[in-house]
Amino acid sequence: MNIVIENLPFLFKGAYYTLLITIISMFFGLIIGVLTAIARLKGNRLLQGISRVYVSIIRGTPPLVQIVIVYYGLVDYGITLGPLTAACIALSINIGAYVSETFRGAIQAIPSGQTEAALATGMSEQQAVRRIILPQAIRVAIPPLGNTFVGMLKETSLVSVIAVTELLRSAQLLVAQYYVYMPIYLSIGVMYWIMSTGFTFILNKVEKRLSVY
Amino acid sequence: MIQTKNLSKKFVDNEVLKNISVDIPDQQVVAVIGPSGSGKSTFLRCLNGLEEISGGIVDVNGLIVDAFDAKKIRQKSVRSIRQQTGMVFQQFNLYPHKTALENVIEALLIVKVMKKSDAVSIGEKLLQRVGLIDKKDSYPSKLSGGQQQRVAIARALAMEPAIMLFDEPTSALDPELVGEVLTVIRELAEEGMSMIIVTHEMRFARDVADRILFMADGEIVEDATSEQFFENPRTKRAKKFLEKVIEY
Ligand SMILES: Nc1ncnc2c1ncn2[C@@H]1O[C@H](COP(=O)(O)OP(=O)(O)OP(=O)(O)O)[C@@H](O)[C@H]1O
Ligand SMILES: [Mg+2]
Repeated sequence: MNIVIENLPFLFKGAYYTLLITIISMFFGLIIGVLTAIARLKGNRLLQGISRVYVSIIRGTPPLVQIVIVYYGLVDYGITLGPLTAACIALSINIGAYVSETFRGAIQAIPSGQTEAALATGMSEQQAVRRIILPQAIRVAIPPLGNTFVGMLKETSLVSVIAVTELLRSAQLLVAQYYVYMPIYLSIGVMYWIMSTGFTFILNKVEKRLSVY
Repeated sequence: MIQTKNLSKKFVDNEVLKNISVDIPDQQVVAVIGPSGSGKSTFLRCLNGLEEISGGIVDVNGLIVDAFDAKKIRQKSVRSIRQQTGMVFQQFNLYPHKTALENVIEALLIVKVMKKSDAVSIGEKLLQRVGLIDKKDSYPSKLSGGQQQRVAIARALAMEPAIMLFDEPTSALDPELVGEVLTVIRELAEEGMSMIIVTHEMRFARDVADRILFMADGEIVEDATSEQFFENPRTKRAKKFLEKVIEY
């Protein structure tokens, strides 16, 4: 236990990277996801095709494989990324696919009468999506997105394989140094749990804020 | 003024509107009646482009949608037409994430790019007019069906349409709420607003409409003044229809 307490700053640093990767990937994943969902629903044939293939590939391959492809695979093409950058890119692309599916469902859940009402007042299709459909879809999407994000937080542990010193890898380094397993792994388990719970708490707050109507 | 020439609409192989040609002058109040599935809603929706027409021409105040024009050209006219027509739906279709006032001013802000303060003053005036100024900050979920429909009418009026289209505005309402909505529509008629109203409220049609279009099987079977139509329908189908609805 002393080992854990002594090395708490080190573990906190790992936790910080876990959070950083999660938040960055969530941010870009959201943008990718919303754009992909709109491309899939309102885009021309080509855009629809691209977004469909993208989602299919990401959902059909293990995230670990996606991470090593971005980090090691791209080197073959002269693209060398730092581990942290590679981690964020891989996870953003990964989560974008899941977000887009959630959003697509949410957009489709909005009755067509909403678009029609907007169009009937002279709005363009684009204005109707932006002002009327998306705000409602976001509200529908928040609870499932919350689950996706908490899943993301846990998935960041995968990037330990490309030597990003996030929480899991920090623990592994300590284990290698002290040959003690349980206290170290248990304490990072607790840290993951606290972060997940914190996320869920914040998301519930956001959901409440958005459900004024 | 609204004019259609040989307007037709097909859903795949199903011809829902067959060569409809009508001419509706300004300030006229037209009630469209007829059995379920006769194409009344589709006719209305073709006028403001919510349905793409399959053949013929729609002309709203000189803005022309011709089925033979390229899609781009049609879309452009459709958008201009929509800015000159207001539509009120059976299911109200208010934006649930916006308050009554925000519902009314949304198009002013987005389509007309009006200053917020100007839009608000127009919106408040309209809510006053439909008797709902005290509900301006309520979300639709907190309003009764009748109140929602009155907000929807105010929303449609905000763009200062030359003509209002109503698709069964009272059909989704509890009977005791129908009156308040019909009163608002009646007032609009008295102010000289051009309107096309699809309705099952025969007494209302008789009182308020100048003219009746009776539709059956995608055609306008009878086109008469409301007096003529209700006193003395010319066609057998209209006679039958009236007997049936009056029984109820
Ligand atoms: N989107 C659509 N796709 C296929 N068929 C449709 C569609 N909309 C309407 N129809 C068909 O067109 C016909 C006319 O429908 P419409 O809704 O215009 O009738 P209506 O006179 O308004 O009936 P009601 O009084 O029940 O509202 C019906 O046979 C209907 O099944
Ligand atoms: Mg109808």
